[in-house]
Amino acid sequence: MTFAGLPYNTLVVAVGVAAVGFAAGVVGSLCVLRKRSLVGDAAAHATLVGVAGAFLATGRRDLATLLVGALAAAVAGLAALLLVRRFTRTRDDAATAIVIGVSFGLGIALVSGLPAWGYADSAGLEQFLLGHTAALTAADAVLLTGVACVATIVVSLLFKEATLVAFDAAFAAATGWPVLVIDAVIVGLVAVMVVAGLPAVGAVLVTALVVIPPVAARAWTDRMGTMLLLAGMMGLVAAVVGVVVSAAWPGLATGPLVVLAAAAIFGISFVAAPERGWIARRLRSVTRNA
Amino acid sequence: MLFGNATFFGGDPAIHGWAMATAAVVAASCALVGTLLVVRRMSLLGDAIGHAVLPGIAIAVLSGGRPGGLLVFVGAVAAALLTVWLIQGLQAAGGLAEDAGAGVVFTTLFAIGVVIVSAAPAGTHIDPACILAGDLTFIPFDTVAVVGFAVPRAFVAGTLAFIVLVAAAVVTWKLQVFTAFDSAAARAAGVPVATVTAGLLAATAVATVASFDVVGAVLVVALLVVPAAAAELLAHRLHVMALVAIILGVVGACVGYLAAWHFNTNAAGMIAVVLGLEYIAAAILAPDDGVFARAIGRVRLAWRVACEDRLAGVWREEEAARGRPTGATPTLLERCAAEWLRIDGSFVRDGVTWRLSPRGRREAETVVRSHRLWEAWLGRHADLPLDHLHPPAEWVEHHLGAAMRRRIEVETGWRQSDPHGREIPPESSSQS
Repeated sequence: MTFAGLPYNTLVVAVGVAAVGFAAGVVGSLCVLRKRSLVGDAAAHATLVGVAGAFLATGRRDLATLLVGALAAAVAGLAALLLVRRFTRTRDDAATAIVIGVSFGLGIALVSGLPAWGYADSAGLEQFLLGHTAALTAADAVLLTGVACVATIVVSLLFKEATLVAFDAAFAAATGWPVLVIDAVIVGLVAVMVVAGLPAVGAVLVTALVVIPPVAARAWTDRMGTMLLLAGMMGLVAAVVGVVVSAAWPGLATGPLVVLAAAAIFGISFVAAPERGWIARRLRSVTRNA
Repeated sequence: MLFGNATFFGGDPAIHGWAMATAAVVAASCALVGTLLVVRRMSLLGDAIGHAVLPGIAIAVLSGGRPGGLLVFVGAVAAALLTVWLIQGLQAAGGLAEDAGAGVVFTTLFAIGVVIVSAAPAGTHIDPACILAGDLTFIPFDTVAVVGFAVPRAFVAGTLAFIVLVAAAVVTWKLQVFTAFDSAAARAAGVPVATVTAGLLAATAVATVASFDVVGAVLVVALLVVPAAAAELLAHRLHVMALVAIILGVVGACVGYLAAWHFNTNAAGMIAVVLGLEYIAAAILAPDDGVFARAIGRVRLAWRVACEDRLAGVWREEEAARGRPTGATPTLLERCAAEWLRIDGSFVRDGVTWRLSPRGRREAETVVRSHRLWEAWLGRHADLPLDHLHPPAEWVEHHLGAAMRRRIEVETGWRQSDPHGREIPPESSSQS
């Protein structure tokens, strides 16, 4: 069965990845507004350890098992970030860079060691580095869609609280909102979306999925709800374009294509958006000076 | 095999030696540059540059440059400067936060690089797997002749890069330090801050590109930031920090390489892991800033406070026998402290009770004097109600030195009594 020239499996996978792209855009918006854009990057680089660890521990390589491992490792990476912040005088930027570098190194060492430790090859785990949707099955796509739906529902339930914390955490804390809990939920959702984005975009680039669409959406609107929806739609489009192009262009990882699609959307938004776009601002400054 | 593993060479020590030496020399370059990145809070820019040099390298290689050759260095430096220019441009023109801008720019440039590498014709001198985790596998075999010896090209390039970076660091060190610690003052003093920063970014690109074959684009951040961050916990002066970072980087590269050989896995990954272990060790064991040192410091402070409180408590009880009684109940820690003070000889037995020995009395009077001087000072300057003077003084009394007590005494006009009307004991003549 094909549709528009695409095989059935590609279509199902495209739907799953599109759902992930949407949810990542929505969740990422909260993170970007909260000025925590690169928290997702630390979680993303840590996931590789979890993927390899889950495979070594269970011997299974189905997506659910590997992603559970990835999520555990992402949470561990974020916990390491908190520990460094709490117990050393290393500043936040260096702490993030340390978690990114060291956890990714451990992940690479584990994946590379697999053949030497009695496994026939690297067990297909390297597809989690740069994303490889061709290897996904329809069942995987259903799993990803489910995760994306849950994350989107959580954001819609937490919309008011998240908005408040994102725009004025001090005010939220002063009026008695549990800012720490809300922050933890936001960061936890980002970790979940980074993990859900792994199969399509890969550990190295998946941070783009939670950063670029929100930043692009921000150029078009000042309203929180509109921004979330717009970021979701942009993430969705980028994900679908990536999947379709990589299906047509074998030998190229999906991740970079998704990122380039998102970057194109960002470029258009940055230049052409009304009010905040580059052209609009140039015009305003010209008319002001005239 | 996806990644080049250290055991690929079998057991030839010379080959392993060259691979390890190459890793060590690029780690040294990265640690030197990373020191400045870390103190300038530019660690994530280092990460971004590590990713973003990929398209520069890829285009240079496709235009006929050799890995480790001059063209590749030029391409990488151009890509690094472009990265920073784009991030700053987005920041200035679009009001985009620096981290969000970095997230957009480096992922995009890296993606462009991956696509170029993937689309490159076969036989090009760039290997997609090498992008992510480096590949030492072929480094020892791609040699050039140096005074008659066959030396790996990557080692020669890495060594040259290190020499250039050290020379640049030595020449511009004062400017870098000034800019790092107070860029506003540096600008006011006529330091070309933008040029100094651009130089640091170019240096980052040079160190990154020298490391590219060894650790790849993603793991270079480990070489840049981890040794420098560990060194920052161990050293307090910037040039010492740079030296310690270089040593940690070199040790990490060698130990990581040997570990990769032993565990039969990727060298770059293991180097990052060993550097991480070095950082953890530094965070725990650093003499001044380590978790241990600070825990011990806190315990010692708590113990000193308990001892001094008990001495002062007994002193006040003795004073109260002549005047008003005090009602402080000692805590468990203070009771332990009291036991110690008996052993220590600060308390002496007087029939059935304990009283202060001459030395204990001197120490107690110092504490009470600090306490009441502080109350007097607060009473004069802080406009607090009388019953608010005691709690801050109860804490500050443990932290006032003789010189500070002297200044307060002068400030408060040589008062003989605190605001509660109690006498301030005189400074004891012989301080221990």
